[in-house]
Amino acid sequence: MDATTISLRRRSLLAGAGAVGIAALAPSAAKAQAATPLRFGLAMPLTGSQATYGQDQVRAAQWAVDEINKAGGINGKPLAAIVLDTQADAQTGIQAATRLASVEKVPAFVTAWSDVVKAVAPIANDSKVVELSVGANSAEIAKLGDYVYTTFPLADVDITAVARYAATTLQKKRAAVLYINNETGTVAAEIYRNVFTKAGGTVVAHESYDPKATDWTGTLLKVRIAQPDIIHIQGLVADTPQVIAQLRQLGMTQPVSSYSAAYNPKLIQQLGAAANGVIATSLAPGVNNSPAVAAYVERWKKEVGREPNGLPYTQYLYDAPYLVAAVFKSLDDKKIAITGENFRTEMLAIRTFELPLTGKLIFADDHTVSKPVYLMEVRNGAWVQAAVVG
Amino acid sequence: MFSLPILAQILWTSLATSTCFVLFALAFALVLKVNRIFNFAQAAMMTVGFYAAYTVIGLAGGPGWLGFLAALAASVGVAVLLEIFGFRPLRRRRASSMFVFIFALVISELIAYVIMLVYGTWPATIFPSLFWPVTLVGPVAVSQWDVPAVVSTIAAIAALFAFLHVTRSGQFMTAVADNPDLAEFYGITKDRIHLITMIVAGLLTGLAMFLYGSRAQVQPMSSIDLLLFAIAATIIGGIGNLGGTAITAVVLGIVQNASVLFIPSEWQGFLLYVFLFTAIVFFPKGIRLPERRLARSTPTPSIGADEAGEA
Repeated sequence: MDATTISLRRRSLLAGAGAVGIAALAPSAAKAQAATPLRFGLAMPLTGSQATYGQDQVRAAQWAVDEINKAGGINGKPLAAIVLDTQADAQTGIQAATRLASVEKVPAFVTAWSDVVKAVAPIANDSKVVELSVGANSAEIAKLGDYVYTTFPLADVDITAVARYAATTLQKKRAAVLYINNETGTVAAEIYRNVFTKAGGTVVAHESYDPKATDWTGTLLKVRIAQPDIIHIQGLVADTPQVIAQLRQLGMTQPVSSYSAAYNPKLIQQLGAAANGVIATSLAPGVNNSPAVAAYVERWKKEVGREPNGLPYTQYLYDAPYLVAAVFKSLDDKKIAITGENFRTEMLAIRTFELPLTGKLIFADDHTVSKPVYLMEVRNGAWVQAAVVG
Repeated sequence: MFSLPILAQILWTSLATSTCFVLFALAFALVLKVNRIFNFAQAAMMTVGFYAAYTVIGLAGGPGWLGFLAALAASVGVAVLLEIFGFRPLRRRRASSMFVFIFALVISELIAYVIMLVYGTWPATIFPSLFWPVTLVGPVAVSQWDVPAVVSTIAAIAALFAFLHVTRSGQFMTAVADNPDLAEFYGITKDRIHLITMIVAGLLTGLAMFLYGSRAQVQPMSSIDLLLFAIAATIIGGIGNLGGTAITAVVLGIVQNASVLFIPSEWQGFLLYVFLFTAIVFFPKGIRLPERRLARSTPTPSIGADEAGEA
């Protein structure tokens, strides 16, 4: 039993995601199994407060690994993911990245959550192992060093799109920005203010709220006094529906925009008619835009009995092994040793990847990627696509 | 910016939303006053109470009243288990109050992780919808959640007051709070009173968590954050002073909400810690109004005091 197997088993059990581990051990194409596996790391939260997302994302990535191996692997060699738990915590992430780079000696690893991505960047740079950030969106991720790349559009992409859409397409002139007082909230709120102002609008209220707040009356009344014609909320999954509910209860009927955290079916269930007019973003095509995504969501319903938590994020995680496999294949074809340095060089040489669930990805020189933003709006109790930007 | 309708709205909504915190704080203050335990494990009682109601209503589709009873039963159940298998043996072993506090802290984290493994970390609400329709009373928006929350909290406080002052057990609780050794000398069984106190705290916690989970999303770790507010209210209100604790919980809610009209919103969360710091440094026995000198002074636990050896 090799390290990969041990790692997969233990972490999967820890996470209570036994199915993922079993899937990893299941035989795929016989030919692919016979050869030495080509390994990459997957450092994600399997336990802790973000485990609900992390476990689903790992499951998605593991499905992709299995699909690749079923199709014969990489020139007959199986692809293997070494899954380690980060708990979405910087310190735990550092331990995981150190093990991947120093013990497992993988040429590349996939990770997410801004705090973790930033904390492990020095390890990736020092060890010359490629760190692929898949899901974190802090703007700083583009500046973390030569070996840190993102496959996920950074915060400015969807916030820019939604702010520009409000000012130009919806012709809104007075926006209020309500944001959670942490790094994610403050940076994104600033981006919204800059873009909306540049597009000709005025931000009439720019108010934060405490991450532990349970009542937003004072802040919302301050926003109401400013008489905005659109309200942008930059919160988290847990607080955004409550802020919208209280906002509507206080008689504020303006359109509300948010970002990908608000784009989930539960928001409509929680808010009922009050959800109508809420605009959110999605950074990946939905079931209506892509048959592959529709089939993917169906697979979730069939095998897991529900849709994945944070669907777009799982789409990116599903695509990550395909990207890694493409680089491995190119190196293998050219008989180049699979090291972190060579992985990076080859990835940038290929530069454009056609991925199954999120479409085309092009690595830009400034370590960012640009992808279309899908603006979703709640109309008559359902999410519908309002526009595609970019 | 500061108009009468705005003030009225802030006062009303803050009053309504602070009801849960009043009950959390009362449960915490009661256990501290009578059992002399800094019961951080109340977070476990809150978490289990919420998830019991969520299981009955949110997952099984059961009626609201059944979910409410489940919340009460679960919170009381955890409280009883804590007292019988945790606090009582520690008391008999004459464990220091710091040791008991660490035990309570560990229990609250342990339960949160167990709940996380069972229910996951996705935020949950007791009822599928967290939007409560609103009626305008003059310029003030009053939601359908507000009135039942205020009425049930007032009823719970009245019941607690009556229990403490009218019933035999309640009077014994006051006696144990005043002087445990003297109470025992007069034939009061301390263990029984400690258990009753935990049961009352469990009932208050169950009610509060049902109210809170009816309008807000809860995650397994949420209760620990909610409890911090209750602890702040207990300290500022005067440790051992139930009335002061309840009033402080309401006032803190109003001040936090209203403050945003005068200070930058980034400072709103910071305000609670300013109050807490001020109270601990300048008013370690709480902020008290001038009162008539009582014939008999009532000793109350103070921050950092070690009651080892009292049992």
